[in-house]
Amino acid sequence: MAVPAKTSSKTAWWLIAPGVIWMTLFLVIPILMIVYVSFWTQTTFKIEPTLTLASWQQFFASDTYITSLWTTVRIWLIVLTATLVIGYPTALYVGLFVKSKTLSTILLVICVIPFWTSFLIRVLAWRPMLGKEGAINIVLQKFGIISAPIEALLFTELSVIIGMTQIYCVFMVGPIAFMLGRIDPNIIEASRDLGAGFWRIFRKIIFPLSLPGVVVGAIFVSVMVLGEFATASALSGRKVNLLGNIIVTQVGSLKWALASVVGVILTIVMGIVVALFLRIVDLRREL
Amino acid sequence: MMTADAHIFRLDGVSKRYGATVALDKINLSVERNEYVSLLGPSGSGKTVLLRTIAGFEKPDEGRIEVNGRDVSSLPAHERGIGFVFQNFALFPHLSVADNIGFGLANRNDPLPTGEIADRVREIIKLVGLEGLGARGVGQISGGQKQRVALARTLVTEPKLILLDEPLGALDANLRGRMRNELRAIRERLGVTFLHVTGSETEALAMGDRVIVLDHGHIAQFDHPDHVYTNPATPNVAKFLNRYNMFDGSISGSAFKSEYGDLPFTQKTKSEKAAYAVRYDRVAVEADNAVSKGSSVQANFIASEYLGSSIMYFFETMDGKVIEVEHHLSNGAPKTFEPKKSYRLRWKPEDAIVFG
Repeated sequence: MAVPAKTSSKTAWWLIAPGVIWMTLFLVIPILMIVYVSFWTQTTFKIEPTLTLASWQQFFASDTYITSLWTTVRIWLIVLTATLVIGYPTALYVGLFVKSKTLSTILLVICVIPFWTSFLIRVLAWRPMLGKEGAINIVLQKFGIISAPIEALLFTELSVIIGMTQIYCVFMVGPIAFMLGRIDPNIIEASRDLGAGFWRIFRKIIFPLSLPGVVVGAIFVSVMVLGEFATASALSGRKVNLLGNIIVTQVGSLKWALASVVGVILTIVMGIVVALFLRIVDLRREL
Repeated sequence: MMTADAHIFRLDGVSKRYGATVALDKINLSVERNEYVSLLGPSGSGKTVLLRTIAGFEKPDEGRIEVNGRDVSSLPAHERGIGFVFQNFALFPHLSVADNIGFGLANRNDPLPTGEIADRVREIIKLVGLEGLGARGVGQISGGQKQRVALARTLVTEPKLILLDEPLGALDANLRGRMRNELRAIRERLGVTFLHVTGSETEALAMGDRVIVLDHGHIAQFDHPDHVYTNPATPNVAKFLNRYNMFDGSISGSAFKSEYGDLPFTQKTKSEKAAYAVRYDRVAVEADNAVSKGSSVQANFIASEYLGSSIMYFFETMDGKVIEVEHHLSNGAPKTFEPKKSYRLRWKPEDAIVFG
């Protein structure tokens, strides 16, 4: 408070400088480069800085690429919904119904335990689970629920969705549980004392107060799912091609210009998604 | 047929334990309609538990709770017809002042029509003096205004009994004084019963038509404030009032044997624990060479504290016990004493209260 304005603005500059420099060098400039490269001229073996719209036209003229854009959006929406539907009740339990702070911390840590193994192992572990002779099919057959193994479980869009939901669910649970844990128990008691039943309290008090957590969780999940490629290639048997998979293939065959086009499109989609989420709730006010 | 019952609520042998700790010990209590009752107790005396048990947020282990002549022991909080004002106000942070106040009317099992809610909210906003603030968020109003919203939110549902858990605790001293008057005025206008929990003896005495003093989970005294003040029922009540010098010892004949010699007294209050109490403002300071007979002790002057209408003098006995003396300035100009010098503190035996 007593710090003179001049000194404090100087201090502020020093505090922000490392972040600004880092972000400029490794985020802003690379993104600008990607945008720039997406207009370069690509020939079979090399790429030249002659500006052209060829790669952009190639993207929008191709059914494969457009389909993969929609597949990405579809899988994103399904996984987002699934993580929310599974994650919210979990968070509600961990953040609100468990009264002991220690226990709720332990439960959150348990949610994170799968992350102690590598990403690839987590994804690949679904193969013996979902396969034709995998755990789920064996168990279902043992109990006589099905007579022939369900083949649709693995190497389909469903397996990609199951895998992604499991991997990203915790990013939804965490922020929501955090917001729910911050709700003053007196507020819930007050609303009960004023005569509101559980659903009313949930709709009018608990859900609105947890909304910032939902938005943060949704942004986490969205950004990660939209940029996904590994789960799709490991669990779909190359049948599901996300934008991320296209970037990987194009970079693999040194098609930098087209990879950049897809990169720019993906960044724009993510930007729109994040902007939409941020319109739901004013995070600066809520956090 | 319930009109004959002058009591708004009645507790019958209410007990509550947490493990080995007894929070409430067979409490019997009945409070009348249209009354301001303050509930005084130090922290850990069980006052918040008692309040939450009446409200229905805690279940008593045994005993009966009656509100408005009806047994509510097994009813949930909102079916008891009791309003509750939380210490930290517990306002809904995402709702406006008006929506906070209207919450109960709009969200109970039989919600009122929107128009009527708006009317009732407008009325109560006027009653508690929040005109023009209805559309504000509760983050944009001051502490005193939050207090009024918390009160209005409860008042609008028209309970006959309102429980207030340290309602002034979160306010600064200035505001606290103003809200005291306001709380009393609002209550009188509505004719409901307030049960006001506080840890401050001055607040309890100033606000309550009657004062309950809670001590280790049981009611030590329930009386008019002047009675509690002049005739504390137990040594602990005298201690909570923070206006009495207390001495330990035992009664032998007409004298109280203390570490500071025999202290004479004229009247005795029946109590389990023996103690000798004399009010701060009943003690006179004399030079040390005065005769040491009668009820007096010798002590060294330490410091004084100016309080506006009176001065507090602090003395210390040889073994380190602090004795406080209050001098009302209406009784003459303040005296000056020499620090570290020995004085004799004397009072009339009939001003002493002896427990035993």
